[in-house]
Amino acid sequence: MPQNSGKNAAPFWISAMPAGLKDFLLEVGDTSRFAGRFFREFLFPPYELREVIRQCFEIGYRSLPLVGLTAFIIGLVLTLQSRPTLVEFGAESWLPAMVGISIIREIGPVIIALICAGKIGSRIGAELGSMKVTEQIDAMEVSGTNPFKYIVVSRIIATTLMIPLLVIIGDAIALYGSFLAVKFKGEVSFTLFFHQVFHSTEFSDFIPAFIKSFFFGFAIGVIGCYKGYNSKKGTEGVGESANSAVVVSSLLIFILDLIAVQITEFFGYI
Amino acid sequence: MEATAQEKTKSGAVREYGEPIIEIAHLQKSFGSNHVLTDFNLSIRRGENVVVLGKSGCGKSVLIKCIVGLLSYDAGSLKVFGKEINQLKQKELDELRARIGFVFQSSALYDSMTVRENLEFPLRRHGKHKSKEEVNRLVEETLENVGLLHAIDLMPVELSGGMRKRIGLARSLILKPEIMLYDEPTTGLDPITAEEISKLMLAMQQKYNTSSIIISHDMHCAQLTANRLAVMIDGINYAQGTFDELKKVTDPKVHAFFLNSH
Repeated sequence: MPQNSGKNAAPFWISAMPAGLKDFLLEVGDTSRFAGRFFREFLFPPYELREVIRQCFEIGYRSLPLVGLTAFIIGLVLTLQSRPTLVEFGAESWLPAMVGISIIREIGPVIIALICAGKIGSRIGAELGSMKVTEQIDAMEVSGTNPFKYIVVSRIIATTLMIPLLVIIGDAIALYGSFLAVKFKGEVSFTLFFHQVFHSTEFSDFIPAFIKSFFFGFAIGVIGCYKGYNSKKGTEGVGESANSAVVVSSLLIFILDLIAVQITEFFGYI
Repeated sequence: MEATAQEKTKSGAVREYGEPIIEIAHLQKSFGSNHVLTDFNLSIRRGENVVVLGKSGCGKSVLIKCIVGLLSYDAGSLKVFGKEINQLKQKELDELRARIGFVFQSSALYDSMTVRENLEFPLRRHGKHKSKEEVNRLVEETLENVGLLHAIDLMPVELSGGMRKRIGLARSLILKPEIMLYDEPTTGLDPITAEEISKLMLAMQQKYNTSSIIISHDMHCAQLTANRLAVMIDGINYAQGTFDELKKVTDPKVHAFFLNSH
């Protein structure tokens, strides 16, 4: 009897695929299925509103100090680094506008999303991995709770809602850092600085950046939860989940940013 | 009406058990090429404590995870309260789970919740709408039963191994289940604490009138808690009987479990 009767045999192009590529595609497929399950569970009751609010607090409020400090330093450093070049060309007055557009359009959302991928993604990956290893997820199921809905859906909703909020707050703090840097080097009032920033920016600068930050939040939540929920047994598995949650979600943020730029350009917002 | 079963206790009194509430017949479960349960048979009556003995990794935990529907089985029949587990819808399974308590090997306490919240969780989730006062009363009463009322506001990380086991037991008992499933309840504990936990399990079984399946390879725990033992070898119920009956069995596979017991 032949080893492979042909009915369940993989097509030639799959068999010929290198093992690494096959594993990568399987991982992408599993993650997509996981994200698909999120939408299925998200749409139908019961809704875990209490847990969503708790996660919003844990993810949003507790990330605020780190996001705020990093954003402040970015705004300050970006201004100090850009100033000499603009002074050389006699365009120092363009500094608020240039820094404002850079932060609002690109640097703010991407850097804050990357910081959150590190802080929140690793936290979710490790927490869920640890819950899996210590049978807490099984215990939840035995207690009549859908663990996917209670643990995963609530966290993905929280990251999707909180990252845009953190981006807005982070942008504001970065602009304030930029203002202090300008003020440190020359005479400029708070009103004049922000007038110059908002005079040179339009809604088309805010909206795409705001929309893409929802996708960044969604990506951080899905990857963190997927890695943690599918953690292998043992403490090594938990560490691996946390680590790969950060690496994959950071990479995904860059890929999503690239796609967002193409779409923004297609619609003529650049 | 099902006939009741009788057992003669050590003191000579006759103990009666009720109708069968767990019926396992020709149960099979595999993970890929690893055939864990090959043809497992077991029946447990109301009020009975059965200890399932077996080597580590032989499939004891898989068996109780199948009973509570955490794992689905490949073939055979597994009926709890007369309902075939694999055929239950999610809602029916949740209703059934409210009647079963499960004590996990790792205790599985929720790290992010206090002891009080851990105990409140199953009460809230099984949709038994109770007032706040009633929930508090139940939580305190159950904690008092396991001797840990003073730990009510502690976090799981602040508890010792024995305390975690007790809280895990309390969380499972709070819904007043009819069946208790224990997954290696004394593993990782010192002999004194292990004996305390075994005695507590027995006391709780008498207080709450539960039937139990206890997965263990701790012979002292088995001797203390079991009305009957089942020895799992190669995925089948290789031998069963009371502790004293099995101790006399000369089959080396069964006898090996009793070598160090007194």
